[in-house]
Amino acid sequence: MPFSLRERKSVVVLAVLVFLNLLLISIQVPLGSEHTLFNKIIFSVFSPVQRAVVSVGAAIAGTWNGFFGLRGARVENQKLKKDIFFLGLENMLLLERLKFLQGDKLIQDNQASIRKTVLSARVIGVDASNYYKSIVINRGGADGVKANMAVCDKQGNLVGRVIEPVTLKEAKVQLITDEDSGVSVISGTDKVVGLLTGDSRGGCRISYVVTTMPGGREGEDLFTTGYDKLFPPGIRVGKITLIKTDGSFFKTILVQPFFSYGDLGQVAVLKERFEDLF
Amino acid sequence: MMKEALKVGAATLTAFVLYSLLGRIEPSLLLVLNTFTLVVIFFSMLKGELFGVLLGAFCGLLQDSFSLGVFGVAGLSKTLLGFVAGYISRKMNVFPFFRNFIFIFILATGELAVWAFFYALIFSRRVITGNALIFFQPLTTAVLGSLIFALARRLKTPQT
Repeated sequence: MPFSLRERKSVVVLAVLVFLNLLLISIQVPLGSEHTLFNKIIFSVFSPVQRAVVSVGAAIAGTWNGFFGLRGARVENQKLKKDIFFLGLENMLLLERLKFLQGDKLIQDNQASIRKTVLSARVIGVDASNYYKSIVINRGGADGVKANMAVCDKQGNLVGRVIEPVTLKEAKVQLITDEDSGVSVISGTDKVVGLLTGDSRGGCRISYVVTTMPGGREGEDLFTTGYDKLFPPGIRVGKITLIKTDGSFFKTILVQPFFSYGDLGQVAVLKERFEDLF
Repeated sequence: MMKEALKVGAATLTAFVLYSLLGRIEPSLLLVLNTFTLVVIFFSMLKGELFGVLLGAFCGLLQDSFSLGVFGVAGLSKTLLGFVAGYISRKMNVFPFFRNFIFIFILATGELAVWAFFYALIFSRRVITGNALIFFQPLTTAVLGSLIFALARRLKTPQT
């Protein structure tokens, strides 16, 4: 059956586009996670659209809540006042305790420095293929965000790190639950050190802990070590849920991250490494 | 030509806005419904394979740029999807409701299979199924797609 002119044109366009896609794939595979210029351009063009969509959605939700959520506002306000009171008290007690260890001036300087280095950001997008791999935040190069900065949730638990592409007002964050991520961690009690990677299913695992190494128990908390030169040391990461030795050279250690995916509306970008401050 | 390019742009934007909204409402919805696939199938069936190929390539690459991994995998699978959807819908009548549902289901399954094949081939890893949620993707696309077509037909038919 002979092809019509229109069909021939379509087949040629299809062949060209398939070839270009295959070329794009084959160029990148040896580069690993490097991003092509084309990828960066598309991200730069469309991320402001995503930002606008989310802002409009948030504005509509805000108006809705403003009209219909007022009933709960009074109760919530009272609860927040109570929380602020206790948090203020707690902060004061901790400051007093800290004064025993450091001078007033040093504490004030450190507090001011921390405020300058933490940048709050809103999550405006999630990974289109697997939402446990990456998110997009509404802060970018114009706010001082750069690749490899650590990102935490509202409670200070590690979420991931900023990766390329970073545009003027948006940035992509690789989550610790991504299979290709890596964080050097240490357990709180037994001080077992290992490399934490994600499983892209919402959980994590610790690799390269040999079976002959003693220590490590289920329920132990994990913190960053800073050995990877990416994440500041001492950030809470997750809890060990299972340790298995199944005859292989390394232990199987499963970890549940502390950050909750459902609570990722707002995050904090650590603009500087904490070890540089103290 | 300019008009067609604008239409491709508008359709891509529609898919992107839907994706952004879904991700904001509930991230796991992105596994159940791929808005880019839905938009590519819908417009390719209406406008033919040439439009489908271009729209598929744009939407696929856009999906790739908002996910970690190799850029071009979704681009490739959606380019093929656009072509097949446009070509077959011109050769066969796939617009009656039930036939429409089956056709979209097969297309969405095929697209997912091609994407999963390339993903597994490149990364040497199993595709993330999100507790099997991803397997509902063709069904959701077929249900929504056939409903949208039925609605469009109803709106187009003059009321007596």
